[in-house]
Amino acid sequence: MPSYILQRLGMMLLTLWAIVTLTFFLMHAVPGGPFVSERMLAPEIAAALNAKYGLDQPIWLQYLSYLKGVLTFDLGPSFKYPGVSINTMIATGLPVTLQTGLLAVICVVALGIPMGIVAALNRNRWPDTAVMMLATIGVAIPSYVIATVLLYVFALRLGWVPTFGLDDWRGYILPVFALSGFWVSFVARLTRSSLLETFEQDYMTTARAKGLRPGQILFKHGLRNSLVPVVTVLGPVVANLITGSFVIEQIFALPGIGRQFVLSITNRDYTAIMGITIFYAAALMVMILIVDLLYAVLDPRIKLSGAKA
Amino acid sequence: MTQSTSGTPVLSVRDLTTSFFSQRGEVQAVRGVSFDVHPGEILGIVGESGSGKSITCMSVLRLLKATGRIKAGSANFDGQDLLALDEADLSDIRGNKIGMIFQDPMTSLNPTLSVGEQVIETILRHRKATRAEARARAIELFELVRIPSAADRLKSYPHEFSGGMRQRVMIAIALACDPRLLIADEPTTALDVTIQRQILGLLRDLQARLGMAVILITHDLGVIAEVTDRIVVMYGGLVMETGPVRELFAHPMHPYTRGLLASVPDLRDDTHRRLTPIPGSPPDMAHPPAGCPFTARCPHAMRQCAAELPPIFGHSQGARCWLHHPDAPRIAGINEVAA
Amino acid sequence: MTDPRTIAPEMWAPLHPADSAPATSRPSLTYWQDARRRLWANKPAIVALGFIILLILGAIFGPWFSPYSYADQNLKLANIPPAFETYAVDDGQGGTTRFFLNASNFNLYEVDAEGHVLGLLRGGRKDMLKKVQPFTFGATTVTLDYKTLPARLLTADGATISPSGWSWNRTYLFGTDQLGRDVLVRQLFGARISLTVAFVATLVNFFIGIFYGGLAGYIGGRTDAIMMRIVEIISTVPLTLYVVLLMVVFDSGLYSIIIAIGSVFWVDMARIVRGQILSLKSQDYVAAAKTMGAGTGRILTRHLLPNSIGPIIVTLTMLIPSAIFIESFMSFIGLGVTPPLASWGTLTSEAVETMRAYPHQLFFPAAAISLTMFAFNFLGDGLRDALDPRFRK
Repeated sequence: MPSYILQRLGMMLLTLWAIVTLTFFLMHAVPGGPFVSERMLAPEIAAALNAKYGLDQPIWLQYLSYLKGVLTFDLGPSFKYPGVSINTMIATGLPVTLQTGLLAVICVVALGIPMGIVAALNRNRWPDTAVMMLATIGVAIPSYVIATVLLYVFALRLGWVPTFGLDDWRGYILPVFALSGFWVSFVARLTRSSLLETFEQDYMTTARAKGLRPGQILFKHGLRNSLVPVVTVLGPVVANLITGSFVIEQIFALPGIGRQFVLSITNRDYTAIMGITIFYAAALMVMILIVDLLYAVLDPRIKLSGAKA
Repeated sequence: MTQSTSGTPVLSVRDLTTSFFSQRGEVQAVRGVSFDVHPGEILGIVGESGSGKSITCMSVLRLLKATGRIKAGSANFDGQDLLALDEADLSDIRGNKIGMIFQDPMTSLNPTLSVGEQVIETILRHRKATRAEARARAIELFELVRIPSAADRLKSYPHEFSGGMRQRVMIAIALACDPRLLIADEPTTALDVTIQRQILGLLRDLQARLGMAVILITHDLGVIAEVTDRIVVMYGGLVMETGPVRELFAHPMHPYTRGLLASVPDLRDDTHRRLTPIPGSPPDMAHPPAGCPFTARCPHAMRQCAAELPPIFGHSQGARCWLHHPDAPRIAGINEVAA
Repeated sequence: MTDPRTIAPEMWAPLHPADSAPATSRPSLTYWQDARRRLWANKPAIVALGFIILLILGAIFGPWFSPYSYADQNLKLANIPPAFETYAVDDGQGGTTRFFLNASNFNLYEVDAEGHVLGLLRGGRKDMLKKVQPFTFGATTVTLDYKTLPARLLTADGATISPSGWSWNRTYLFGTDQLGRDVLVRQLFGARISLTVAFVATLVNFFIGIFYGGLAGYIGGRTDAIMMRIVEIISTVPLTLYVVLLMVVFDSGLYSIIIAIGSVFWVDMARIVRGQILSLKSQDYVAAAKTMGAGTGRILTRHLLPNSIGPIIVTLTMLIPSAIFIESFMSFIGLGVTPPLASWGTLTSEAVETMRAYPHQLFFPAAAISLTMFAFNFLGDGLRDALDPRFRK
């Protein structure tokens, strides 16, 4: 087990390094460099800025110093807001993003899985049809469309919830709903198909042949096995709920990392774009690692000693 | 091989009819099957795949997949009709008074639960026992089915066991509550030949020791000859022939049984008799023929065979074949002897 | 249990093999016939297919039938809704003027009886304090009062005029946007852009994926291991982020977004192609082709690909809606196509700004993208059921 985790950590660091490198060189490949798109700067000011941000150094030196920064959890200063570090930007936005993201994850687990169970247990009857219809809508309609339509109907027309901000608990409803809509539907569909597949397994017949009660059969034998594929997607889901939040944060004007990211793009704040991308990628990979470990707990066949097949 | 046809049967199945419904329509898997299982006997149900033998037993315990439906019949066990009981009462019998073993030990055990847990949960379901008592009983059962270092292996998961060991676990689960009837659905088909022998031997020993009745479903006549007392031969969802194992092997009444026996290599026979497989393939049960289902493959088929389904002729040994009608033409080896 | 009843003697005659019931077997269908039959039986998928075909035709030919182009601005006729309540005012000289009130910008627009928009009506001086504006029609004067919302029209004696009826907008079927551009035409152009990006990007992904996966699967061994390790690394990266980064580097625009999407989403395709090829490689007909001296390229294109086409088509159909989604998403956050070009994403994001006053501008692009995503999802599900051999009976 420890050797497996070590191996996974090593792989993660390698991937992160690839991401940092790719991001760094992509951002430095932007034609003209970071200050060109700005209003015309006097040459001496531009030179001073370049010197300040180390842009006068050869690119590999810049790369090495950036890499060193990343390794020491220092993502450098913002180009746009002098004196503000990317770390501070992320630290200010993180609570908001985490709050909405975690609420959305809770929604996905607490709504998606039960919906899938209800559908599977009532296969081809009306609860199944209803759940599958809802899930198809949720999977097909893009989150930003859901968000804007919800915003229009519930905030502008009906006035039940505020249009922006999180001052009130009601402010969370729409963003969390819009954020989790796709994944609730996705998980509901996955749980349903996984359960239906599990019902066909021989060991389910064994469980019935042993005279176990319906609840035992469903929860102990059926659900546990069906949840294995669901848990596998939960890692990417968590990551997506956090990275995917940038439109939602934009629409509902929530001061999270996602909004910061979109803002950095509009501002061409290159260090911020770079830093937040790397932060997202790292968060995603930690999430996937956690989920893989959880996966091993659910399914004893997965040995945590070697690499995955 | 005690023959105890007298007394009340443990299980008495009458006119069992089961169909599966799919987009293609109705598949009539079992078409009115009747048989009795007596206390302490091993009844073999034999037939090719698709003959309805497994479906018959799954129907008795109502373990069919969602597309299957029992259309008619009764299955009397302990004075109760298993087919009419409500689900809760039936589940009190399953795993308790009737144990069941399945064909593929690789897929019949839940891969995410330890084997011990899978035995223990069965005991806890049907017996008033503490967890510790159930665990002790599980160890006892593992020893009974000869799983080495039983106490240590309770914690193991199915994937850590070989096929034969898993089938032993399945047997332990089936025997957990001292059942009166054990249904074994092709328990050795998925195993290596040497392991097959061990498992069969184990089943026979356990039957002798515990005295329960056993239904052994198989397509392997060698298995049947070795362990069973009586045989039910199934084909096309019907019972074709039934009788005590000795008589049936010595004087098969039905051409199908004859064909089956001829297709088995006889290990004790040194004359290198040629194997004669039955030509043709079983009927499509979505459109079963009007007459005897074996007509198309039968070497003695008559016009009457295609026209009408024969009844079962005979007494302790009986066959569903027109050749046993008093007016039927004589065919050597079939109705000349049995008449 | 014996049945001693007598049976007609002729019935004991031997049966000739030909007399027995003929074996009934279903006519065997080829893979494609079977797939087509199954797809045809799947109503939602067929409806979806019909919708997609209509959408493509509309996107290609629709704009030709419109007198407007996607970029024509008419600021005088901005933010006109697709339907309105009309007022008819008698000018006291035998003429009647029909118009409607845009309740959000307090303008009156003259319309004819059929619902064609004729133009903006010029009123008298606005009284900024009292928030009223007089409009004169011959001898009649009507006052627009916007002190209290919703705005009302009053006669000279202060009575409220109620609308005489309502009408669809015959000039701009879907209304106009905030720059007075025809929403319908922009919608159809949006479909063009969105579908072009989706199809081209999917095609690019398709070729990269086929090439990469095909090569890895065919060569196998170490090369395969390394190539798949790379795929593993790529797939752990949040791909949306990379599209964002690429768009930042390339700068917004139609080609950039095609390249950005096209270069990122081939990973699944590569995996599937590789898996298919690995499983097919071991089969006899490939060995047969090899012994007959067929070259690698020939084996790949003539034997392996045709046999893995089913899962590939399904993956492609599922890729198209993701590409549409990513494009609209990028355009929505301002990284997609540049104005005045319109995609569904830009249309939605423009509409969000004016959503409070003119919800129709949001309704059309939101509905268009949702329906299209639905259609591709249904079609993809249908194709998967039709083409997946595991479902064949």
